[in-house]
This record gives sequence, C-alpha cells and structure tokens, in this order.
Amino acid sequence: MENSSQESHLRSENSVTYESPYQLYAMALSSSSASASRHQRIALGSFIEDFNNRVDIVSFDPETLSIKTHPSLSFDHPYPPTKLMFQPTSLRKSSDLLASSGDFLRLWEVRDSSVEPLTVLNNSKSSEFCAPLTSFDWNEIEPKRLGTSSIDTTCTIWDIERGVVETQLIAHDKEVYDICWGEARVFASVSADGSVRIFDLRDKEHSTIIYESPQPDTPLLRLAWNKQDLRYMATVLMDSNKVVILDIRSPTMPVAELERHKAGVNAISWAPQSSRHICSVGDDTQALIWELPPVAGPNGIDPMSMYSAGSEINQLQWSAAQPDWIAIAFSNKMQLLKV
Amino acid sequence: MDEGSPSNGGQELGNTWWRPREMAFRPYSLQNEAQSLRVVVRKSLVARLTKDIVETYQICNPQFKFSEDLNPKRYLTTPSVGVLNDGYDNANSDLILSVNYALVNSETHRRYIVKDVLGHGTFGQVARCLDVETNSFVAVKIIKNQPAYYQQALVEVSILTTLNRKYDPDDKHHIVRIYDYFVHQRHLCICFELLDTNLYELIKINQFRGLSLSIVQLFSKQILRGLALLKDAGIIHCDLKPENILLCTSVKPAEIKIIDFGSACMEDRTVYSYIQSRYYRSPEVLLGYQYSTAIDMWSFGCIVAELFLGLPLFPGASEFDLLRRMIQILGRQPPDYVLKEAKNTSKFFKCIGSVHNMENDEVAMDGRSTYQPLTEIDYEAREMKKPLIAKEYFNQKTLEAIVTNYPYKKNLTKEDIIRESQIRLALVDFLKGLVEFDPAKRWSPFQALKHPFVTGEPFTCPYIPPLETPRVPVAQNIKVDHHPGAGHWFAAGLSPNVPGRNRFSLHNSPHFPVVPYAHGNSYGSVGSYGSYNDGTGLGSSYGSYGDSGGTFAYFSPMGPSGMNMHPQSGVSVLGSSPDARKRIIQYSHGNGLGVSPSAGMFVPLPLGTSPSQFTPPSSYGQVSAGSPGHYGPPSPARNSCHGSSFGKVAAVSHYNRRKSWGYSGNPQSQECSSSQQWQGQFIDNTSTVQAEGQGPSQLIGGSPSHLQSNPSAASWKQRGSSGITANSSAMQNMPSSSTRSSNIQVPHSAEAAHDKSEASQSLPDPGDWDPNYSDEQLLQEDGSDESCITTEFSKGLHLGLAESSVGVGRVNRISSTSSNLPTQRQNGPIQAFSHVEVGSPPSAHDPQAGFTRFMSKPSHLMPHNSQNSPSRLGQPPAQRFNYMRPTAPQGSEWNQNKFQPPSSFNSGGPRSPGSSSFNNGVPWGRRANNPISNIPPASRGRKDYGRIV
Repeated sequence: MENSSQESHLRSENSVTYESPYQLYAMALSSSSASASRHQRIALGSFIEDFNNRVDIVSFDPETLSIKTHPSLSFDHPYPPTKLMFQPTSLRKSSDLLASSGDFLRLWEVRDSSVEPLTVLNNSKSSEFCAPLTSFDWNEIEPKRLGTSSIDTTCTIWDIERGVVETQLIAHDKEVYDICWGEARVFASVSADGSVRIFDLRDKEHSTIIYESPQPDTPLLRLAWNKQDLRYMATVLMDSNKVVILDIRSPTMPVAELERHKAGVNAISWAPQSSRHICSVGDDTQALIWELPPVAGPNGIDPMSMYSAGSEINQLQWSAAQPDWIAIAFSNKMQLLKV
Repeated sequence: MDEGSPSNGGQELGNTWWRPREMAFRPYSLQNEAQSLRVVVRKSLVARLTKDIVETYQICNPQFKFSEDLNPKRYLTTPSVGVLNDGYDNANSDLILSVNYALVNSETHRRYIVKDVLGHGTFGQVARCLDVETNSFVAVKIIKNQPAYYQQALVEVSILTTLNRKYDPDDKHHIVRIYDYFVHQRHLCICFELLDTNLYELIKINQFRGLSLSIVQLFSKQILRGLALLKDAGIIHCDLKPENILLCTSVKPAEIKIIDFGSACMEDRTVYSYIQSRYYRSPEVLLGYQYSTAIDMWSFGCIVAELFLGLPLFPGASEFDLLRRMIQILGRQPPDYVLKEAKNTSKFFKCIGSVHNMENDEVAMDGRSTYQPLTEIDYEAREMKKPLIAKEYFNQKTLEAIVTNYPYKKNLTKEDIIRESQIRLALVDFLKGLVEFDPAKRWSPFQALKHPFVTGEPFTCPYIPPLETPRVPVAQNIKVDHHPGAGHWFAAGLSPNVPGRNRFSLHNSPHFPVVPYAHGNSYGSVGSYGSYNDGTGLGSSYGSYGDSGGTFAYFSPMGPSGMNMHPQSGVSVLGSSPDARKRIIQYSHGNGLGVSPSAGMFVPLPLGTSPSQFTPPSSYGQVSAGSPGHYGPPSPARNSCHGSSFGKVAAVSHYNRRKSWGYSGNPQSQECSSSQQWQGQFIDNTSTVQAEGQGPSQLIGGSPSHLQSNPSAASWKQRGSSGITANSSAMQNMPSSSTRSSNIQVPHSAEAAHDKSEASQSLPDPGDWDPNYSDEQLLQEDGSDESCITTEFSKGLHLGLAESSVGVGRVNRISSTSSNLPTQRQNGPIQAFSHVEVGSPPSAHDPQAGFTRFMSKPSHLMPHNSQNSPSRLGQPPAQRFNYMRPTAPQGSEWNQNKFQPPSSFNSGGPRSPGSSSFNNGVPWGRRANNPISNIPPASRGRKDYGRIV
C-alpha cells in the first residue's frame, strides 16, 4: 500500500466509485482471511477489443471508504479475461493467488508490490487452435482444486498445486458457459445446450440435469450456487430478464423466476450472509436485491431494493469478506455499494 | 414482500434475519423513470465473452482460431472405431454417432442432431435427436448399413406409413407415428415421435409387482385399439411385448403406443416362421402353423397377464418349456387340426391316434386328442438333450388360480377386495379368450374390446363374443342392388367368390371392400362385403377351416351383434351398434361418391398389397382361418382411414371434407349419429388431419379417382415435400386417376429424389422381387402347401384389410384411471445421466419433448405405398413374393431404453433424492447415481429375440 497513489473522488456514505481508463468486465474481491491485515483487494479486468488487455489491482478500505490504486500491481493480460478470482482460502501469508481465465487459465501471485505470473494451464493438444475458457470456479473446500468451463463442451478440473488436470469431462452437448462448485467434489455447470447439470467427481459416468431452459437449447450464461443453502442455485438465460431460481431437489421446475429486470440480466450473486437473498444486475442499469419468500405469490416476486447505475451493469460480486458491500462494474466504473 | 426496512439493519449478522438495508439501494418501486423503454443495442459483455467469445477474441486477435471439430467427441456408439463405410461405420456396420452428430435428409435438408442413444439392437441404433426445423426431439432409428436390415426397415417404413396415414390419420389408435425417413451415409434413418418408457420398464419400476387393474384395463383397451387397426390393415406386428409398448406421458398421463414394426408383416405375407419373442410367442408360431393377426392377440393376452402379475405368464426358457407352461396353465392343448398341419408338431407331441380320426376336424367327439405332449423324458430321448426348463414363478398351476390368488394390495377394504375379486374374474375370462390355443377361436381385437373387463361393465357370466362375419372375397363385378343397410350383407354373403380371387388380385384391392362404403349403392355392397370377406376367416375359425363354403355360412346372422366389435365389416352385417350401421349406410349414399369400383381396386393398398398378395395360398389360408372376422367399420371415418385402396382414398377425402367444409348432408348426419366421442376426436384432430395434408385441392376432386390421387399427391405437394413423395403418390394413383397423378409427378419428377424413392418403394414391391425365390420361401416357411384350400379365401381376406375398424374401442374410453398411473416418470427430463466423461457411453435425457409435433410434420411422412405402384397391376396374380427379410432384424429393442425413468427423481423412490424433504439438507443427493437408462436392452435378459439372424 505504499504505492497507493490516488483516492477515488467519487464517494459517499454508501457507495464508492472507481473509474478505470478502460471498460471493465471481470472483477474479483479478495477473501477476507487472507487480507485481514490489508484492505480488501479488488482485481479488475479490462474489456478491450485488442489482444492486450489489463488487469488492475486496487484496494478498498471500508473504514475510510477509499479505493487505492496500485500501478505496480497492474499487468498485461492476453484477451479480455472472462473471469478473475482470488483463491478463496489463501495458503500464503504474504500474497494472494489470483486466477484468470481467457484463452487459458493463468495463475498470478499478487504480492505487495508486484504481480508474478505463476503458470499458464493449458490442456489443449493443439497449438494452432484454442478453445477459450468462459469461466472457472475455485473450490473453497479444496483450494488446490479449480474447475474451468470451455466452449469445447468440457469442464476441466485442475489440481493447481501440481499444475495437472485432475479430470476433464464432456459436460454438455454444447459450449459450457459457467461452472460453480458446491462441495469439494461436486460442481454444476450451465451451457449453450440450455441445461444445468450437476457433476460429482466420484461418479463421472453420470451427471444430473436439474434444469433445462424452456426452449430447447436456449443458452444459460451464468450460474450461482447458494453457498448458504446448497439446495438452491440461480441461473440466467441468454437475453432474458429472468433470474431462474432452482431447487435441486425438484429438477425441471424452477422454484421461482425473478422477472423484474427490464433488460437482460448479466450477473447474479447470492448474499454471503443469508440464504434467502440474491442480487442481480442487468442491462437495465439496475442492481436488484431479492429476498426469496417461502412461497412465491401469484404475481411473481418483487425485489426488495434496487440501485440504478449509469449504464448497463456487466459485473457483480458480493464477497464474503465484506458482506456489507456489493461490487458492480458498469462501463469503465467499478462501484462498491453498501447494503 | 415488504421493502427491506432499515429496522432490520441491526440484525445483519444473523443469517436468518439478515436483510439488506437501504444504504446505496432504495426500496424497489415500479415506476422507474423511463427505463422501461431502455433499448440495449450492443450485446452485453457477458454474451460477448460466452456465446460470442470466439468472435470477440477474433476481434482482439485476428489470428485467434477455434475449431469445433477439435472438441472432444462423446461417442454414443460402441465400438467407436470406424472401420467400414469409409470410416463412418464401426465393425458392426453401425453408424458411429457422437453427440451433436447431424443426420441429414439430403432431399429436404432437414437436420436431426443426435443427442443421445436410446437403445440399440440387431437392426442398428435408436437415437434421440433434435429436429432442427421444429426444435423438438424425435427418435431416429438408424439402420445398419447392410442390405438385409435396410430392406427390412423399408418394410417397417412402409407399414407404419400406411398405418399412420391411411388407417389412423388422427393418431387415435395408439400406434407410434413415423415422421420421416431418409438415407444418411448409406444408413436408412427412420424418424419417429419420441415416446417415454416401455411397459416392461414400468413393471420393473414397480418392482415386478402387478399394476392396478384399472391401469391394466386402460392399457388393454388402448392396445386393443391399436391391434384393431392392425387387423383392419391386415398387418401382423409379430413382436408384441411389453418392451414394445411405450408410454407417452408427455401427451397424456396414461397413454401408450405400440412401437417397433420392424418385424411386422402383411397378413398375407407371413414369410417368417420364427417370429415373436419367446414369452409372447403364440402356439401357431411355436408349432409352425400358419399364422395371422391372431398371433398378436396371443401376445396381447400374455402382456395383459403380465401387467397384472408383474411377471410373464409363460416365461418359457425354451420352446419346449414354453409349450409345457401353456398347456399346464391353460389346462388344454392346441387343437388337433392345428397339430395336424403344423410343421413342428413332432417336436412337441407324439401322435397316439390313427390318421383316420384326424380326418374329422378337431378332436374326436369323445374329446380326446390324437396328440399327446411329449414329456421331458420323451423330449430328451428325441432331441438328445434335456429341454431347458425354467423355474416356476407362480405357485398356482392354472390361469384362474394364478390370477385369483395373486396377492391383493395391502390396505384394501373388504369391499375393495370383493370388487377387485369380481374384476379379477372378468380378467380371467378375458385372458382365456386371448390365450386361446385355437387361433380361430381366439378373440379378435374387436371381440376383445367388448369384453366386460375392457368396457368396465359388471362381469356376470363368461363372455361370449359376437361372432364376426367371415370375409368373403367380393368380385368387383358383383353388383348388388340393395339397400345399403340390408343389402350389404346379402351381397356379401352372396359374393363369395372364388372367382373373385383373380380379380382381386388384379385390382389388388384388399381394401377394395372399403370402397363400397363410400360409394354407397352401387358398389356399396361390395365394400361392405369386403368386410365380410374378412369374416371369412371367421368362418374358418368356427370350424370350417379352409372351406370357403363354410365361411359363408357364418355371416349374416350374427351380423348385427357382432358389429360393434368389429367395426370393419360392420357395416352391413354385424354392425351391432345401430348407430354405426346407420352411419355407414348413410354415408355411402350420402356421399354419393360414385366411385367406380375399378378405380378403387387400383388404389394403393396400404402395404404392399399387390395382386401378388393374393397368391400365397398359405398366407391366405391362414388369414382366413385366423381372422375371425372383420366387421365393418362403424364409422365412416374409419373407412376413410383405412385403406383399401379405394376406400382409403375415399376416406381421406372424407376427412378433408369434414374438416374443411364440414359434411354435406348425409355424411354429417352420420357423424352425428356416431358417438360423441368420435366427434370429439374429430375436433381434436382437426389439425392433424389437415396436417395429413389433405389440402383443399383434394377436396376439389370431384371424382372418386381424384380423391384418391389427391390425398396423397396433393397433400404432399403442398407441403413441399420432396420428389419422393410426389412419386409415391403418383405411383399410388391408379390408372383412372392418372391424369391427376401425372400432373403431380411432373413437378417433382425432376428431383433427384425421384429415382431413389422409386427404388426404395419398389423394394417391397413384389414386382421387384424374384417371384420364384419368394415362392420358395413361402412354401418353405409357410407351408403353403398345406393350405391350398384356404387360398381361395385369401382373397376375401384382403377385403378385410380395407376395413376400418378402428373406431370401436373408443366409445368406452375410460379416462378416470389415467391419473392413477404409477408412472412417476413423467417428469422425464431429469434424467440426466450421463454426462460423462469424455468418451463415455451415451446417456439419455429429456425424453420428453418431441411428441406433439407430429402433427405439424406429417408432411414428412412419405407415402410409401410402394406396393401400389402401377406396375404391379399388371402382374399375374399368381405371383408371390415376400419381403425378403433375410436377417431378422429385430427392431424390438429400440425404444426400450428410451427413457430412463427419471423416476428416481420424482418418484421419490428409494434412490431419489427428490423424495427427501425440504429439510434435508442433502442438496444434491446423488441422484446422479441412477443407474438408469443406459442399460442396453439386451442386458435385461428378458429380451428374447427369437429370431434367427
């Protein structure tokens, strides 16, 4: 933090805004445990239509409501990263481990004053062709385990300590767009084939389809598993204003569909501190916080509260480290919102 | 929901009570600025980095390359090594399928994307595919790339197409729908509606406990409706068994359909002697006796018993064991007249009487048979090996005891038990009429449909089915002026004809009979007779086996009563239900379609009925013997459906009219008179019908001939179907209609498809086959020699084909039971299994989907009336041919696996997490473990493909 340079000028009691030189997409919040002595780190990935993209690391001090930039912690990234994520439980005292997905899975060690590329994890057998990774998820219970989703229809489970593939599954019939861990060996994924499937590494012969989009093959873009109550997960259909809430015990029939966005939903995140709350953001510039009622009423579910950003909100993170704060990204801005 | 109130702010630490405060957020309200109109022009970033990531990355770096072809393939076919057919086929001549493999109908460019393999068998594989055009799922049977399977599959296509289009355009008779077929990479691919699980699986899910009587009854009725249709069409399924009866839960909770016509044959072309899966094999087939549609009724009886018992009635480990069980459980043995003629009698019986006695039909008056079943010791002595004998499932020895002593469900009240015991008595009586050794006495579908067990009427005394009228061949030249009603039978009775035979063959109109309906007076009689002719069989069944003379005797008297049962001939003779009769009659007059008989004759027969059909004496004989009679079709509609050439066509036209215009005068009234249900059906079906393609143009056709040609040709054309259809239609048209047909043809003829289609169609066509060869086969296999006498009748039989009997069953439809269905698997989609590691085996999920669509797709059905091709007309009647079915592909397997009952999920079965209560935290339960589905049918042990391959 020595090299902190400027503070964000946009701030109020309840929100802090950071402006980046470029459009933002990927975003990650560091986990609390690793950062106890530090302010929370936020990694921000650019979306630039160029091979050269950037990842910037900033830090947030909730006490002073300030965001500090760290130019020495910025680094180049090939292609816009599709996802950034800090290792959930850091094994290191002095640094954070950051992963990014794009053309390949990359691991970076974020130190106090520098970022070191650790490895590029590539399972492709072809040097000419590349099957980009659309997302990944870090297993919280087994921090050495990380799963990626690819448009080549597979999910690959990596042992990042050894840098080897633990397994690769042809998870779907079409491109896989998102992946999410539930337990140490159980993950779910969504795909262009319109299905949500649950996999168990102990039984790789089978998966369980717990949802299929109503129109065959309407792609599902995002998936979020409720870590507070693993019975529930949420998914987002492409070009849909709906957030579909699933109860994995009753496959095929969503328990709720949240349809108050006025344009497509881009990201969803369950509250880290409550099993009944979820936040969603969309192209309607809104961030909506929902409370799932025990029983859905006939008229659908209204969100509890809302926030309007200046433009389409592309990203959302609700980190366990700072459960009072929701981070959103829209345009070239990252904003922290107090809830 | 109340908007998150700040008051909760202090409780944020408590998981349950945490609520967002209004800090950055504010309470949700609807009236939000003008944002409701917000238009987002650019693609969202999330889409650009998922769905469009390749494009996005290519913008970032033009050198970026992604190739879908490099995606790991999930092979669905094993072995997946391509060794034949330029690497497309594996060593078994199966097309190597992987997920997302596209099967393409090169003529229509319709694409079917393979998603899963539902099953496989000797014939090839069945895949669940996405029909890209309709975005719905279908089942595609991909036949092995070997001529034998290819040919046999064409027969299946031909039979199913005819059944669907001509006999059951409204999809009311529980026969699987065929949507399309084409050749892909030298594999014939047949596209069917996608159904759910089969009855064997259903029983298995029920842990091999019997289903409730109400469901048994419901299924029985539906299967009977299907069998009635088959009988009308003169088609023998030849492999009826629980595995080949599938639920279509997505449509209706308790609806079933008969699938797998891969072994089916025309009643007059019973070429194969080794058919039917063992447990369901009829005594005729077992003994090597001539067979008819009655063998399906035997199988049906076995199925009904199994549905109730949960276990097969005759689980014979060998044919010897099978027959032993039959004799034991039924307490009798096959009639002597059968044993006398059957080829394999000596394998199972020894003759203890003099040949002399055998001259008298059947058993001597004292009731003793000339034949005695071999004991195990006898058998061993003869065959030099011990017969395979399986263990007994039931403690009881007789059918009656097995059924009546079958354990009752727990928790039944005394009243319930009493009630059920009564129904069980009805069931016993019902079964006795089905698993009847004497094929001539065995009930027809129409007779069975009237049984109290099916109708739900109280069972008071043993059921005596109305007799069915014998079928008598009717020569076209026979004109009888009569009142439609009365006249019919007489005419029928009168028209006996041996002579008729030749003519028939010429006209090749087994269906011919139907026509009369349409025509009312002039020929009406003929038509009605057609049904009579069917009856012929009856005659035989009742004793006068081969003799035509005998046959006639049976007709009339019975008529009225019989009618209900047998819609077919119904009309005149039997029509037990006044309404029906009335209708018919009216119909004929009303329409006044003056079809000339001749035209009718040429009309396309449903399945390769070509003149030659008549020839094989044996087959005919069988038919007549076996088929107790076809009664006239009660409802006009049916007639239409069926297909006699004429009749069908005409019928079709009727449909059209109804739909589009409603009926004119009489016809309408007929409709009215018919049962309400029927009407209702109509309504429901409207779409279907239309789909069937009866375009307006058809309607226009004033002359009967036109009508005929139209339905097929015109409709196809409209749909824009490829040349094939056109062709076929053209072929179908008879000479009389030639002008029309020719028109039609022209447009299409240019198409490439043309030749092909012709070729394919022609395959089944007798003309294309070497008559000699077939003759031999017939002789060998059918033992036609024995039945020469019967040949004469055979003609009559054909007439029977025309009948449209279908409708009968409907009246009684019971809807109540449906809800009871045990099948939990309706929720199918869940089944996910598979998913799988790379290279892992196929999985199947989401069976549901595709059913409905068939209506819209009818267009794809190709008319396969290959048999009807004009060329045949010229053939000498004497010719015989058969579909060569060199190998015995057993289609049976295909659907079985189709669907893995997701039961685990929904049903709350032991394995299913679904059952767990909310409270259980077990989120994901391992439902994934369901073993499901992929089990190849073969592994079940149950399958008995009896065929010689």
